[in-house]
Amino acid sequence: MDKIIKILLTFSIFFLIWYFVVTTLKIPNYILPNPIEVFESLNTNRSVIITNSLITLYEAFLGFFIANSVSVLIALGITFNKKIENTIMPFAIILETIPIIALTPLLVIWFGPGEYSKIATAALICFFPSLVNVLRGVKSLDRDLVAFFKAYSANKIQLTKMLIIPSILPYLFAALKVSSSLAVVGALVGEFIGANKGLGFLIISNYYTLNIPLVFASIITSSLVGIVFYYAIHLVEKRIITWTTTID
Amino acid sequence: MDLIQVNNLEKRYSNSGLLALRNLSFTVKKGEFVSIVGPFGCGKTTILNLIGGITDNYKGSIRINNESPSEARRKRKIGYCFQKSNLLPWLNVLDNVLLPQKITNIKEDNEKAIELLKIVGLEDYASMKPYNLSGGMQQLVSIARSLVLDPEILLLDEPLSSIDEINRPKMQLKLLEIHKRTRKTTVMITHSIDEAVFLSDKIVVLTPRPAMVKKIVNITFLQRNEDTIFSKKFINYAKIIKKELKNGQNN
Repeated sequence: MDKIIKILLTFSIFFLIWYFVVTTLKIPNYILPNPIEVFESLNTNRSVIITNSLITLYEAFLGFFIANSVSVLIALGITFNKKIENTIMPFAIILETIPIIALTPLLVIWFGPGEYSKIATAALICFFPSLVNVLRGVKSLDRDLVAFFKAYSANKIQLTKMLIIPSILPYLFAALKVSSSLAVVGALVGEFIGANKGLGFLIISNYYTLNIPLVFASIITSSLVGIVFYYAIHLVEKRIITWTTTID
Repeated sequence: MDLIQVNNLEKRYSNSGLLALRNLSFTVKKGEFVSIVGPFGCGKTTILNLIGGITDNYKGSIRINNESPSEARRKRKIGYCFQKSNLLPWLNVLDNVLLPQKITNIKEDNEKAIELLKIVGLEDYASMKPYNLSGGMQQLVSIARSLVLDPEILLLDEPLSSIDEINRPKMQLKLLEIHKRTRKTTVMITHSIDEAVFLSDKIVVLTPRPAMVKKIVNITFLQRNEDTIFSKKFINYAKIIKKELKNGQNN
């Protein structure tokens, strides 16, 4: 409760400063609207914003799901065959170094202007951070535990099911948390180019018509989508990972 | 009846080419508690891994009831308890004890697991997660787990090395009690001479690497209890082992 009050207080102070800066300096609303105008726009356009938020969330979630599933499969492959790492990692690093915004037009050409190109953008932006985290989990597998399973002639499926997957869960959740917010960014970037729906489309189309309060409302909503996504994973993590500890 | 026969065992590490064991021979009778002592890095764990069928590529012979170690391992005749308790933190104590049954696709026998937890004195902790238990208790769970497949042989790799000096004697008594109740043929590796003398029927003293048998000392006490370590006989046995270890190093 104390934590919630602190958060609310911080945001209230932030909005107050924002309001006073805009009204005192008389900044026109096509440059920086005050928070009341933004919340009015949020309220007036709520059905449009909710519909488009759900589209962005759907694209982000699918991209997130694909990226993390592929990362886990690759990491499991690397556990049993180190050569896979030498083959895949150079490509993964190259992919990471290319700015996603530069790839987006190509993804639209390859996957079409619909949701697939946005899902692909979200998946690509999530892939590398997720792979790095899950790989860390696989590499920190307890050798003694592996020896224990081998002593009882465990096969690869048993080893994966009973030891590797539970062992990498804390790292997987770290990957899921990092990629949850990245996936929303990926979907938004995808929607900036060749889209007619989603929060990214809402931002870019209203930017052209200088409806800046709605642009701000859409930005705040996209941030909220990312936060909700992140905390949903955090809650699941807290329920599942009960054996790790933190300093506090 | 000799349950374990080790004859002229020689082992060279495949990655470094180092000779770990040379011309090593000893036997373990059914129901006997045998300890292997030797200097750091002389290859004690390697001997245990070879007997347990975890490591292979060796010269000489190891027979476990006339079978090779890997055959004995496949037939679940060997129970392992490692230096670390190796409990899975996401499973509770009972499920950790049942783990070898799960791995070997045997129907999980909760009653047996509880019975084993009773033997080690931890039946009240069955539903707890390992992080709620002390290091010593975790090691006892690990011993209970090593018995769940009812193996003929129990291999203990420094099971009490992580236990503090105050709790060690209690744990040694517990190990003694477990051995009395189960009568499992036990081979234990330890750095503690006192522990070896207190628990064993026989102690195999090794030389530094490449490990050879320096001496085999048979231990007999009329009875073993917490006062045994203060007896003259105990002190004499410990002196003999220390002397043999020292001679081995000087040579």
